[in-house]
Formats: sequence, C-alpha cells, structure tokens
Amino acid sequence: MTTQNPESGDSRRDQVIAGEYVLGVLSADDRRKVEARIVLDGAFAAMVNHWQSNLTTFDDAYEPIAPPPQVLVAVERRLFAEQARPVAAAGGFWNSLALWRVLTLASVAGLVTVATFSSGILTPVSQTKPLVAELTGDASTTINLLAQYDAANGALKITPVAAKQAEAKSLELWLIEGDNPAKSLGILPQTGEGEIIIPPELRSKFGAGVTLAVSVEPFGGSPTGTATGPVVAVGKTRLP
Amino acid sequence: MTTDDIATLIGRVSLRDRAAFSALYRQTSPKLFAICVRILRDRTEAEEALQEIYIKIWQRADRFASGDTNPMSWLSAIARNHAIDHLRARKPVANTIDEAYDLADSAPDPEKTAINTAEGRRIDKCMNELEADRADAVRKAYVEGLSYQELAELFGTPLNTMRTWLRRSLLKLRECMER
Repeated sequence: MTTQNPESGDSRRDQVIAGEYVLGVLSADDRRKVEARIVLDGAFAAMVNHWQSNLTTFDDAYEPIAPPPQVLVAVERRLFAEQARPVAAAGGFWNSLALWRVLTLASVAGLVTVATFSSGILTPVSQTKPLVAELTGDASTTINLLAQYDAANGALKITPVAAKQAEAKSLELWLIEGDNPAKSLGILPQTGEGEIIIPPELRSKFGAGVTLAVSVEPFGGSPTGTATGPVVAVGKTRLP
Repeated sequence: MTTDDIATLIGRVSLRDRAAFSALYRQTSPKLFAICVRILRDRTEAEEALQEIYIKIWQRADRFASGDTNPMSWLSAIARNHAIDHLRARKPVANTIDEAYDLADSAPDPEKTAINTAEGRRIDKCMNELEADRADAVRKAYVEGLSYQELAELFGTPLNTMRTWLRRSLLKLRECMER
C-alpha cells in the first residue's frame, strides 16, 4: 500500500480502507500495513481517527461483564514485579534505572502498532537534558533498540540489539513533525552502537512531541526519499 | 464515573500512579472484558487478552490526548484492536487491501468528504439510510469482529458480494456523516 496524495481520486478507497481497519475486517498483514501508513501519512491517520470516533457508538452493544478477580492480580504482578526487578550488573551511567526506563525502546516487531493519532504539543527542549523516545512495536520481536538524543551536540545514539531480516536491509530513521512529510535522518548501523549526527538544519525540529520512526529499507536506505518498507518502530519524543 | 473522571485517571496512570491504575481498572474493565468475550468468544482467551490490554493501557497512558478523544472510546479501541489482532492471528483471513476495490456506485466527490469535521450526523441516523441487512453487516463486523468470510456465510452472499456491500456501505456512511 502506497502513500497516496489525499487530493487524488484514491481518497475514496483510502476512506474505505480506513473504515475496514476500524471495523476489523482486514487480515493481520493488512492491519500492519494500515498501521504503518497511519504513522507516515497524517491525512490517512485522520481518516482512521474519524472512523474510530464515528463508530465508537457501536460500543454500546457491549454489555459490561465483570472479569474474574485474578485478572487484575495477574496484571499488577506483571507490571509492578517487573519494575521492582533489580537492574542487571553493570556500572555507572548505563546502569541508571531512571535512564534506562526512559531509554528503553520496546521490543519491536516486523511492523508497528500505533495506539494514538493525536498530535503532540511542542515544548521547548532543554539544552541540558537528553531527549528520548520510546518506540513501541508489535509482540513478535525482530529487533530491539535503545536510543538517546543529546540536544547539546545533536548526537542521536541508536543501538539495534538484534536485527533479523532475510536479506541485507538498512534501518532508516525518520523525523515526522506534525502532518509534515517524514524527513530522513539517516541510516542506522545494524551492529553495535549506532550514532547519527542530526544535520544542523534539522536540529531545531527536535522538540518533545515530534515523531521518530524507523523503517526497513533496501540496503543503503530508501531509494525514493520516502519510507518504502515497513515501519518497525515509532514513538514520540518527550523529556524524561 | 464521568468521562472527565476516566480521563483524569488515565492522566494519573501516565504519571505511574498505581492507585489510579487500580481505580481505572475497576471502572472500565467490565466494558473491556465484554469486548474481549464478544470478539474472542472464549472466556479463557478473553481473560488473557484483558491482561494484555491493561498492560498496554499502562504503557500507553501518556499517549492519551484528553480533549480530542473520548477516554472510553480510546480504551475500547485498544481492547478491540487487541482482540481483533488476536482473532486474525488465530484464524487468518485473505489479504485484500492491495486488490482492486469495486466502489463504483458511490455518488459524491470524495475530496469533500475527506475533510474531518467535528460536526456530523449521529452514526445511527446514517445507519438507518442503509438497507437493513447491510447496516446489520456493518454493525456485526464491528461488534463481533466478524471477517468478510464469516459475514458472507451469515448473510448467505458470495464473498465478493459481501466485500462490495460493506465497502459501499462505508462510503455511504461517510457521505451521510459529512452531509
């Protein structure tokens, strides 16, 4: 599925696909494609959002059913037992729990799951605090990422912990500010610790609430200047 | 429990307030559990799904934008999306979105309908403008998470006919909601 010009005659089809997504009739693969497009195409995301708010009236059909008490117990055990777990042995900076909590990018699937379409509110970036993004994806892990952006020197550190792709691919990082087209920030090194120096002209765009997304591209990066492969991770920046 | 109260609880959850999380769970889990039971049609799977859904809610609470979104609608969408993903993984259906869509008989200029207006007719009114069985198919797809194949069997239509029904109904609904 390609990103189409919202002015084109394809927008009827887009409206239908957005509606089919919200209804739930699409296949798993198609749902992942739609979710990747939601990330990269603001006009399409708005269509999905619109269907969601229109069709939510049907939620009245769900008559509440009290779940058994063990469900909450299990949820709280999973959430809060994990948080209380001691940090693995290592030292100094990298062992800061607060740092890792905000720097952890969730395990990321072949494709992305997005829960929100709301646009963030830009707030001024402190020059002293690193800006971080929590990039979340689906459950079937193909890569794990850790990242940190230092506004002082424009360095964005990305560490892909594992990357399983059938053939040589590159991971490309994109910056999406509001409804503007995604801007490429560069290719992520796939082994070891990666660091991208953000071009000076793009540094002013780094504020809390902009979206960072990573897509899988042909080796060497997207040939077209826009994301062509599946989006594997996406998240909004925020101050820790 | 008002909409504002639920929005406030979600806000507190985003600040990692565990008491607020328990309160949010108590207030909202019967609705979200009903969604899981209805779509998954299996109590055990529904309980497991509900666990995953509240873990997602804890993790994503900071992405809730109060003001533009009804909080119950936001929570229900997380639950429906999770349940439908689970269902489609368990019982795969055909990929369709890269195929041609037969949207021939829908009337108005779509560019005008693509504009998102806050105003709009109630969906119920627009559902009444659809033929009864088509409206019923739209509602069943949403509420029960039925696939095109299941809908075709239920309504006794060929699969492609059901796809055309539903897609044209979506266009008609969109046109009606914006009218």
